[in-house]
Amino acid sequence: MTVLGLRQLNSLADLERIRAELLSRRDPSTKSVHVCTGPGCAAKGSPKLYELFCEAAKQAGAEVQVQAKAVGCHGLCECGPIVLVQPGNIFYQRVEEPDVAEIFRETVLGGRVVKRLLYENPATGEKAETADKIPFYKLQKRIALAYNGLIDPTKITDYIAQGGYRGLGKVLSSMTSEEVISEVELAGLRGRGGGGFPTARKWRSCREADGSPKYVICNGDEGDPGAFMDRAIMEGNPHSIIEGMLIGAYAIGSEQGYIYVRNEYPLSVERLKEAIEQAKELGLLGENILGSSFFFDIRINRGGGAFVCGESTALMASLEGRPGEPRAKYVHTVESGFRGRPSNLNNVETWANVPHIINGGGQWFAGIGTEKSKGTKVFSLVGNVVNTGLVEVPMGITLRRMIDEIGGGIQDGKRFKAVQTGGPSGGCIPTEHLDTRVDFDELTKLGSMMGSGGMIVMDEDTCMVKVAKYFTNFLQKESCGKCTPCREGLSQMLYILDRITDGEGQVGDIERLEDLSEILEGTALCALGKTAANPVISTIRYFRDEYDAHILDRRCPAKECRGLFRYEIDPEACKACGICLKNCPADAITGEKKVPHVIDQKKCTLCGTCWEKCPFTAVLKV
Amino acid sequence: MAQEDNLIEQIVKRYDGDTGMLIPMMQDLQSECGYLPIEHLRYLGGRLKVPISRLYAVATFYSSFRLAPKGAHEVTLCMGTVCFLKGAPSISEAVCREFRVEPGGTTRDRLFTFQAVNCVGACAVAPVMIVDGKYYDGVTPASALEVLHGLAADKAAAEKEGEI
Amino acid sequence: MYALRNMLGKMSLHRSVKGIRKGKPVPIVTIDGCKVRVKKDATVLDAAKKAGIWIPTLCYHPAISPDAVCRLCMVELDRGDWRQLITACNYPVRRDIVVYVSSEGAKQARRGVMELLLARAPESQELKALAERMGVKETRYPNVTESQRNCILCGLCVRICEEIIGQAAIGFAGRGVDRAVAAPFRQPSDDCIGCGACAAVCPVGTIKVRIHQDQQEVEISPFKSRSKLLVCEKCGAPIISTQVSERVLGKVETMSSEEFRQCIRLCPKCRKLQTAVRLQAATVYKKE
Repeated sequence: MTVLGLRQLNSLADLERIRAELLSRRDPSTKSVHVCTGPGCAAKGSPKLYELFCEAAKQAGAEVQVQAKAVGCHGLCECGPIVLVQPGNIFYQRVEEPDVAEIFRETVLGGRVVKRLLYENPATGEKAETADKIPFYKLQKRIALAYNGLIDPTKITDYIAQGGYRGLGKVLSSMTSEEVISEVELAGLRGRGGGGFPTARKWRSCREADGSPKYVICNGDEGDPGAFMDRAIMEGNPHSIIEGMLIGAYAIGSEQGYIYVRNEYPLSVERLKEAIEQAKELGLLGENILGSSFFFDIRINRGGGAFVCGESTALMASLEGRPGEPRAKYVHTVESGFRGRPSNLNNVETWANVPHIINGGGQWFAGIGTEKSKGTKVFSLVGNVVNTGLVEVPMGITLRRMIDEIGGGIQDGKRFKAVQTGGPSGGCIPTEHLDTRVDFDELTKLGSMMGSGGMIVMDEDTCMVKVAKYFTNFLQKESCGKCTPCREGLSQMLYILDRITDGEGQVGDIERLEDLSEILEGTALCALGKTAANPVISTIRYFRDEYDAHILDRRCPAKECRGLFRYEIDPEACKACGICLKNCPADAITGEKKVPHVIDQKKCTLCGTCWEKCPFTAVLKV
Repeated sequence: MAQEDNLIEQIVKRYDGDTGMLIPMMQDLQSECGYLPIEHLRYLGGRLKVPISRLYAVATFYSSFRLAPKGAHEVTLCMGTVCFLKGAPSISEAVCREFRVEPGGTTRDRLFTFQAVNCVGACAVAPVMIVDGKYYDGVTPASALEVLHGLAADKAAAEKEGEI
Repeated sequence: MYALRNMLGKMSLHRSVKGIRKGKPVPIVTIDGCKVRVKKDATVLDAAKKAGIWIPTLCYHPAISPDAVCRLCMVELDRGDWRQLITACNYPVRRDIVVYVSSEGAKQARRGVMELLLARAPESQELKALAERMGVKETRYPNVTESQRNCILCGLCVRICEEIIGQAAIGFAGRGVDRAVAAPFRQPSDDCIGCGACAAVCPVGTIKVRIHQDQQEVEISPFKSRSKLLVCEKCGAPIISTQVSERVLGKVETMSSEEFRQCIRLCPKCRKLQTAVRLQAATVYKKE
């Protein structure tokens, strides 16, 4: 497959010439429709919308220049499928198949806005024509996600026209490897995968390490449940990763790179494969890149389905065709990693930031964010918020602003209870700490961490003990099982948590959980084990009363744990329709026409059928 | 070594015999056969000069590998945090009860294999169920059962057609 | 003569003085107050042995590369304003360090790990003995995970079979709590040669060598693999597995297999008897 008949780029001048040509070919009068096909919108059927728009564009004939593009995740997944129309940057949300014809006719051809498909601010009722008028987007600053929504990720020409590979060109033609590392150091870039390790320091250590060949690896094993930032970048802008890795490899002195993508992201694998092929064709990968003596190649490897492979040494074991078991890091991977050679591993989002740092300069990047956490971070804001989706903001924004201003507050008018950050290695943060600024270090002080950027908002109906149990169960299933404390310790913790949520908690259980967490933190072999107790410890710290209620009163205050709350019928709301009575599998409900029904607590099996079926919400959880 | 195994030879060639690509090789084998047949694995081990105990370790370590044949359809239920909070466990329970299957297992009549996975990355539209690659968003126990019963109906219809 | 020796002596002294000034520094490990020098990249465990300080271990064996999976050998490393818990068996010493084995923090960490192990494998006498030696009399945790016959997944059997014997007949299977040591596909392994090295290194008595006299076979339990045995021509007692003898033969260049077979016809007991008989019947030649 040739890329629009372009030949190989043999110099920086070639690249700039192509870019200029592509830009000049762009007719400002060409109308284009960008359909988001990121994970959220795709799940709602947006690929079909894209097809319909392509059809419409074809049928419109040659005189009307209309282009339809499938683009990567735009961020506001809650309002998907999202369709953008140029010129004008008109932002349509919740677009369905019947809307395609109307959008095409009215907006694309007629230049008129279809008001009902615009975003409406739930607080003010105002309609927003463009994204920048939407509160969700106002506070965002997009660097890693900058090109998502603008480019077609399957076309390298889109990336180049937008400014892609300019950073690489600058590096190869005018910078030494030390200068590249210094620029990244000035920027203050820290790893975006959760560890937050200073990237420039890692690159420098790897460059100075003895041994060859040296390897550059991209960690695309995004396993935190609730996180899909890396997926959006891999699928929405794969070339940003390739360019980042090229620059890093040049700085470190590596000729071979690997991108490790988790098994559950087949589309990411496809997009990256395509992108690599196109880059190879243009000579941006392989020998004599842009006419220099630099050689670099990238291979893609897939995971087999194991969360632990997000850990760097486990990932490298997996790359070697072994089970993904972590090993001791007393000798760092930059000294001895993949195949025992110096290896530099960075996360997808970290790599995606690198070209921008080279283009904009380290100083520019360091001007964003906080003193110790420079730049932006992509967060996955999900759970019980109104606006769920991907958000990229300068570091230092408070949790409150994230949840209220960007997230739009809690769904269904409920109250905020906690926000879980950092995935299974993180913890839950309650209301009193909502004004904490989000960055690498602040959340750690509260017993959680920023991690890879997952932010799961929980409302008042969430049982925090159940949340702790969920994460403990997750980690127990994903533990590699190699070391005693993680394998046995998590099982012991889960056993206790099961007892507590079953109403069989014992006095001393909390202390037992705390003892076990100390063993895990002190003696586990890898970061998964060392941080595995965080969900439990943070919920004990901030929601001790819930644990006490479960253990001492056999009661679940959030009314989620089966058996630890009752169902009762509100006599004032009950319309005596009899549906609950008919459906009760234990015949525990009595009542007649016009008489409020009553549940016999002795017979009730707490199955919840009456609560589900009552059309008048007269069944209450007590 | 056992007699020539063309499928394995093809796969090994595809990855230049690089043992580091063992997982993608086994994934290709599984795509082809629906699971990982023992004899193919033994041949692969011999071909790559990797002990069979290592292939077995890899096959049993990673969740995506199956050592036994799977069902006609592949049903995946996301059990990521958000899906979990939005009711995925009750969906799982309903499916297991209705079709008498365990997560990770296959229904008796081999209609479908049921897997629970951790987060497919579509958290904004939780709970998510995937059937043969097709995403269903905002699923409930009732809607999930409906979709799965639909598979059985399709099968019956196809069989009937085959008879005629 | 003396002059030459003197000159040579002066040269070597000169060289060794030069060595102290110009050569690589030999790190000093201060372990529980005791200072020992070790080679660079030796482990903290090596230093402890040199200092005569005992650190409990389970998954460590001098012949095999350390993996630090049991987490029993935890000690504290002095980091100035804090102490880091590290595993002694694989922490490489690259500069002067201070280590605490008998501190409260280190003892508590080791106790925690041992209690978890005792909970997992309550019936292993060897484990109980080790715990006693550490001063851990019992565990506060119930048994919540299933171990195959007290296996604690130290991996010594797997690693010795792969690294030293070179057969890789057994390996790990599964993940997390389902992790187990098994022969491939849970069937008797074709690669097992019946040497019994796995049984010899197993620290908790899980793996056992069973002799099946009537079938002249040796079985490695619980892996169910069987190998044929060479038996004593005189009394029929088992000597060694035929496969192991073939391996040994492969390393001896000067013998053919028949000659080799001639060498192992008798078991040690019968051979001793035979030698005794021969010695008795031997004529002693006196010097005339």
